[in-house]
Amino acid sequence: MIEILLILFAPILGGLVYGFERVVRARMQNRQGPPLLQPFYDMYKLIDKQSFIVNPYHSILGVMHFLTLWAVVAFVILGGNLLYIVFLHLLSVIFIILAGFSVNSIYSHIGSNRELLATLAYEPVLVMLSVGFFMLNGSFDISVIREHTSSIFPLFLLFLAFLLVIPIKLKKSPFDASEAHQEIVGGVEIEFSGVFFEFIYMAKWLEYVFIYLLLLLFAGNNIILGAGLAVAVFFLVNLVDNSTARVKMVHLVKIVLGIGVTLGMLNLLGLGYV
Amino acid sequence: MFDLKKYRKKSPWILHYNAGSCNGCDIEILACLSPKYDLERFGVINTGNPKQSDIFLVTGPVTFRTRERLVELYTQMPEPKVVIAVGSCACTGCVFRDMYNVEVGIDRYIPVDVYVPGCASSPELIIDGVVKGLEILEQKTKEMEKPFKLFKEATTDDGIVNRRHSALKVGEDDAKD
Repeated sequence: MIEILLILFAPILGGLVYGFERVVRARMQNRQGPPLLQPFYDMYKLIDKQSFIVNPYHSILGVMHFLTLWAVVAFVILGGNLLYIVFLHLLSVIFIILAGFSVNSIYSHIGSNRELLATLAYEPVLVMLSVGFFMLNGSFDISVIREHTSSIFPLFLLFLAFLLVIPIKLKKSPFDASEAHQEIVGGVEIEFSGVFFEFIYMAKWLEYVFIYLLLLLFAGNNIILGAGLAVAVFFLVNLVDNSTARVKMVHLVKIVLGIGVTLGMLNLLGLGYV
Repeated sequence: MFDLKKYRKKSPWILHYNAGSCNGCDIEILACLSPKYDLERFGVINTGNPKQSDIFLVTGPVTFRTRERLVELYTQMPEPKVVIAVGSCACTGCVFRDMYNVEVGIDRYIPVDVYVPGCASSPELIIDGVVKGLEILEQKTKEMEKPFKLFKEATTDDGIVNRRHSALKVGEDDAKD
């Protein structure tokens, strides 16, 4: 029962996290910042706006991106297969990339290209993460992983690699070159407007829920450790976001593939010998 | 059922366009978004994307090179929208009035809702102008507003309004002229 409620309210939960994050970021810059419910005000406004449809496939692919991501979050909450979830999440990213390529805007194409490169960089880390959980717990099922004790110490190097993935997925500095608001005006989301942009906006909230739920897997059945981990990573990510500049796409791929995959492989090799 | 109209003024997203300004007003607009004045406490985001913005901040007298882009950006913004002319140049042309290479303010081309004077306008005035613009935004309907020049009537394809070719290039045939 509580799982179904969580799934239904997952976008709202993500919106609250996003609103809280905007307040935290403003306070870090010594500003007052928007109200906590600002993302929902944006959402109501976007319902009321006129929406331009560039072509039908573009809009439908945007909606599909949101729906697939919601399904991913639902599978994580219900405790499905982790490897399956990683690939379903890849499908949702593919939808938004296709939407970016389906219009004529140059910025949209650049955004899609960068999104593809970012996917290339972080996807191996996510796959290695699920393999690490499998070697430790003997199952890909999230429900099994949640019953075991915390796996943050045996999977510490993979945890560090996962920390590199979080800013890419949440579009945070230094790894936000695929969105880059001042440079390519949002990349893939540039041609969406009105109600259809709202789906992209809400998909961004669901991304928050997905990433923090994956983070909670490291805590296993230890709820206190999980809460501490989520809060600590939340503040760490925002601190790094506020204090670093954006890196170029080629450096993003080099850093994440070089450091992330190396750390992951070392961890998996270590688990194989133990 | 709650009224969606009252949420319009809680999340205005800004599109900022420099129509040949000297950058004085642009720096003041950026100062508004900085920690000291913090426009984001009203929910303002500087999007830079016409398709997702509600408020069009224009600075500068309209030079001949920027006319097409001004009308193009205006037609790309979805309704309801508000146009704010920031600075004396955008309002009247200021010291560049009646020169050979500029127009007399932006209201020759697009309908303007709020005029913010000053050379350069101070951040306090710009914030006042944006807040005044929000009051107007609440009254607006989704009726399409049209630029005065460089504009062709929008066509309808299968009952859907198509505005893709509504902004004209300079020198292209205009039925109104």
